[in-house]
Amino acid sequence: MPFRLEKRPEPSRTMLYLTPAAAVLLTMIVGAIIFSAIGYNGLGAVREIFFTPLTNSYKWQDLGVKAAPLIIIGVGLSIAYRANVWNIGAEGQYIVGGLAGTWVALATYSMSGPWILPLMILAGVVGGMLYAAIPAFLKTRLNVNEILTSLMLTYASVQLIYYLIRAPWKDPMGMGFPQTRLFAESARLPTIIPGTIVHLGVPIAIIVALVAWFIMSRSVFGYQMRVVGTAPHAARYGGFSENKTIWLALLVSGGLAGLAGVLEVAGPFQRMVPGFPANYGFTAIIVAFLGRLNPLGVIFAGIVLAITFVGGEVAQTTIGLPNAATGIFQSMMLFFLLAGDLLVRYRIRRTAVQPSRSAA
Amino acid sequence: MTLTRRNLLKIGAAASALPLLGSRAFAQGEPLKVGFIYVGTINDNGYNYAHNQGRLYLEEQLGDAVETTYVENVPEGPDCERVLRELAQQGNKLIFATSFGFGDSVIKVAQQFPDVKFEHATGYMKADNVGLYNARFYEGRAVCGTIAGHLSKTGKAGYIGSFPIPEVVMGINSFVLAARKVNPDFTIKPVYISTWNDPPKEADAARAMIDQGIDIIAQHTDGPAALQVVEERGAVGGFGQGADMSAFAPDAQLTSIIDHWGPHYVNSAKAVIDGTWVPGDTWEGLKEDVVQIGPYGPKVTEEVKAAAEAVRTGQIDGSFHIFTGPIKDNTGTERVPAGQTMTDAELLSMDWYVEGVEQPA
Repeated sequence: MPFRLEKRPEPSRTMLYLTPAAAVLLTMIVGAIIFSAIGYNGLGAVREIFFTPLTNSYKWQDLGVKAAPLIIIGVGLSIAYRANVWNIGAEGQYIVGGLAGTWVALATYSMSGPWILPLMILAGVVGGMLYAAIPAFLKTRLNVNEILTSLMLTYASVQLIYYLIRAPWKDPMGMGFPQTRLFAESARLPTIIPGTIVHLGVPIAIIVALVAWFIMSRSVFGYQMRVVGTAPHAARYGGFSENKTIWLALLVSGGLAGLAGVLEVAGPFQRMVPGFPANYGFTAIIVAFLGRLNPLGVIFAGIVLAITFVGGEVAQTTIGLPNAATGIFQSMMLFFLLAGDLLVRYRIRRTAVQPSRSAA
Repeated sequence: MTLTRRNLLKIGAAASALPLLGSRAFAQGEPLKVGFIYVGTINDNGYNYAHNQGRLYLEEQLGDAVETTYVENVPEGPDCERVLRELAQQGNKLIFATSFGFGDSVIKVAQQFPDVKFEHATGYMKADNVGLYNARFYEGRAVCGTIAGHLSKTGKAGYIGSFPIPEVVMGINSFVLAARKVNPDFTIKPVYISTWNDPPKEADAARAMIDQGIDIIAQHTDGPAALQVVEERGAVGGFGQGADMSAFAPDAQLTSIIDHWGPHYVNSAKAVIDGTWVPGDTWEGLKEDVVQIGPYGPKVTEEVKAAAEAVRTGQIDGSFHIFTGPIKDNTGTERVPAGQTMTDAELLSMDWYVEGVEQPA
């Protein structure tokens, strides 16, 4: 290999914050070129995907509703990732959170009152936390890699939905379709702007991000997370327990994923259906990184990803771009971001050609 | 569909000028805009492909009078609601939602756009501007079941289903009733995979079935994945669903049930243009040519072909109905007495399996 990567002693802070913007820009440019090359209107694709959702005021409500779960989960993941705890199973925690909320909604079906929704939300958070506690336990007790356990638990949680909605929770009015009954009025998340679909989950997402930002930058907890992540040895000397950090990171990220799940099932879905797993938990991984693992950055990143989803549909209806294009744009964004990060943290050096030709 | 940039600007202008409406901006004489949403991709070579063929048929038949748009891979959930609103806001006056799980969203969005007509395929919830349309797929299943009864060596078929909704249950029952008229010991094992389109899952289910001695596989999912496995493993055969899938399994496809939605789309669009559209509830089949039987495969002998044709034509002239009693359920209880035929309402709420169906987990 004539090239090698050399770690930069001090990566430029400005560049670190510029890479996400550069990644989005590069995605647009390369996307336009690729789609033009295969016979679509490349510029139109970029316009419809990235700009129409912003310029068309109808789309704002969709952006808010789509971004909210991404932001809530992304904030949790950014806290965990800061501490080098790789929770890949937010999708599963989101699902269990949604199921826990559904359980409360169904158990209180014949009741009404303002206490039902808070109870559902509490159940959702606890559900997500409990589900994230499994990888935490396995990691701290048996040193099992949390990437594997959290990811595999996601698939288990999907089966849990299928089981519950096929038998014990099946809608008596659903013509046999595996879904729960529509939640009662008290178990539905209210819309906050009349005439739109913007529900209470949207401001909650923003509040969650602000609170998380404050805690991460101003509290001992935040300091602990950051130190354990960036300098584990120093953290150990400083008396921060690594196991405690793993537990905290997984409980916080799992609890927030569970919160997103319960808000989603009580808001847009209003019942549990097989289509509930919508990959928010996985997309939020992109959101966390695009947001620089900073809760404030996550707000913007969540909106950017929401734009690509909503815009992807606009592009399908207006210029006939296939649905897969959205996925291509999102993947390109993550690719450019990670590549940009690499170049900011490392520099490419040409290595001298090794004289060892004896092995021939 | 192609939208010119000028049209696009016009739509944009209309959309921003008329919050929540976007209708009055279109002067008379402009084409009727018709939107379609599909749960899978138009390249699935099955269910969604067939709906898209219907859309193309509509364009071909009505030419400049219509302008169509489609959105594929629309999930059955809140995302669907957004896509429906998107289509309505872009001036589509007739929107076809082609999958069962879109029902909740169609009803919600239809309330917001009272001047847009919606038609929901295979659903059960109607409204002032929401009509229903469906096809009697079970008639096609009866033809397939007849062939299966003749050709299966083990007398066991597998059936890959999406969800245990009446639509699917009815298909399984029709298939096995027809097969048991030929081979009274015929049994069928349904497996539900909780999705309309997941080729790896469909293929896995098919492999597991063949390993258990099943030699005929039918599916009520959207693509040819199961059929490809049947071809690959050299089992007796399977059936195309939605469209002719012989390109994927030239040897294994015994025949196919082809959904021919085109004429229905033309009728609905014409009715909207003429102002005579009312929320309908159509359920047409072989007779109306909405359900067609594709070409028979190489393994279907002349004798079997004749038996299959008899069932097909019997359903067209009305002399044969697969759900005519006596019919027992799979616990042995008689559900339909001899000589009686189940009503449409009974069929559309069918939640029990006939004799010969292994109770799914």
